[in-house]
Amino acid sequence: MAIKLDYVARETATNLTRNVTLTLASILTVVVSLTLFGSAVMLNQGVNNANDRFKGGIEFIVFLQPEVTQEQKESIQRDLEANPDVKDGGVTYVDQDETYEEFKRIFEGQTELIETVSPEVLPPSFRVAPETKDPEVVKALGETFKSKPGVYEVVFAFEVVKAIQETFNKIGVRFLMAAGLLLLAAFLLILNTIRVAMFARRREIEVMKLVGATNWFIRVPFIVEGIIQTLIGSVVAVVSMTFVIRPFIDELSQEKLVPLFKGFEVTDGNLLVANLFVVGVAVLIGAIGSAVAVTRFLDV
Amino acid sequence: MIKLENVSKIYKGDVVALSDASVEVEKGEFVFLVGASGSGKSTFLRLVNKEESPELGRIFVAGKDIATLSSWKVPYLRRNIGSVFQDFKLLLNKTVYENVAFALEVIGRPRHVVKTQVPAILELVGLSKKMGNFPNELSGGEQQRVSIARAFVNRPLILLADEPTGNLDPATSVGIMRLLDRINRTGTTVLMATHDRSIVDTMRRRVIELDRGSIIRDQSRGVYE
Repeated sequence: MAIKLDYVARETATNLTRNVTLTLASILTVVVSLTLFGSAVMLNQGVNNANDRFKGGIEFIVFLQPEVTQEQKESIQRDLEANPDVKDGGVTYVDQDETYEEFKRIFEGQTELIETVSPEVLPPSFRVAPETKDPEVVKALGETFKSKPGVYEVVFAFEVVKAIQETFNKIGVRFLMAAGLLLLAAFLLILNTIRVAMFARRREIEVMKLVGATNWFIRVPFIVEGIIQTLIGSVVAVVSMTFVIRPFIDELSQEKLVPLFKGFEVTDGNLLVANLFVVGVAVLIGAIGSAVAVTRFLDV
Repeated sequence: MIKLENVSKIYKGDVVALSDASVEVEKGEFVFLVGASGSGKSTFLRLVNKEESPELGRIFVAGKDIATLSSWKVPYLRRNIGSVFQDFKLLLNKTVYENVAFALEVIGRPRHVVKTQVPAILELVGLSKKMGNFPNELSGGEQQRVSIARAFVNRPLILLADEPTGNLDPATSVGIMRLLDRINRTGTTVLMATHDRSIVDTMRRRVIELDRGSIIRDQSRGVYE
């Protein structure tokens, strides 16, 4: 039996307007919880962009002394490339000019700082991608190069990036926890809203069952109602993430007073992913909440 | 059309609503179920409609053992069974027309069917002029006619009526009985639970009397007692 679209649309519209305050409460809870959730997703993605020196599997950087000799440099490169723990082609040399470019990019806007340095004083470096990401192995591997002649310092991703990641993970986890609780509240509110809607229409449901309407025919308008509520909530959440949260993060990342945010960036792609997550979770919560709700009143 | 084989229904607390009842109703019959309150009349009707299931025994409707019906098939069983109640069960926020149309819409009948069937059935029950009225604007007898129209609009094989005249005065009840008789003459099997002695005695149809869940009398062209 085909479920008629106009019937579903009509019934859903009636249900949504029947209990405005409760519907509004569910939608607002959905908005707040999903905004938090989406922000956590964005932060998480932003962290991954936070330090692009460590992109592409690079786990540590061997900085050379600016006055390193050609022989020293080649010896280190040979050792790195011959090491079985280092990926094939996992060693990239960054010379002083490139380092200077990178320096300028990182400290963009800080003209005074950039003026104090020139390419000659900056250390060239090897960016190394090892076979494993296990911090213990990477650490041991990197340490062996620390004492080699011509090496200025070895910097590990897990020391730099992970410090940032840890901080943001802490923020993210708290966001997620708050979002989780609010999502639960949203779920229960949806469940309750749908139950109230069904209770309000129990006579109609009784008649429908008597004349032989299928359970799904009775359920679908209520499930659609639940999904529409969360969907409306998610649209508002998407708008607030796009036009409030993201500009705020961008502002922070340009704010010199919060050094942690340096290089922290949320791209359009990240925003899109976060928004898709938000809409997906919204539909899921609406569908599950109302699906649980409609199991009531339909036991005959 | 309807067959009960040694059916027992026991509610919580050992309340026996129906006890080892066996009976067969042929297609096109008109049957009165009589007996005191609590004798099992309503349970009988609810069992046929599969609103409840028996603890013991088997029930056949239109040749099918309805215990074997999976729950998703129950609605299709009910499309062959119309139900009428003492309290009408009309939707007060819908007009007469909408109440009857609702029964067709929710089982997915196309709009053109609804548009032709509803006026036809309202004509049959004599409410053509009240299609746009709400139930509260009608008399009890008229409301029951709407309810019968709703039960019959899908042309079911069976009509179950649970004290359809219980809320109506004798004169109005006669009108309702004429209507049920007319529906019965189209070949629809009618099962009616009632307390109304005069109706049973005037109609002289098959009477099944229940007493504390047991069938104590089954009489064709019977009287109330």
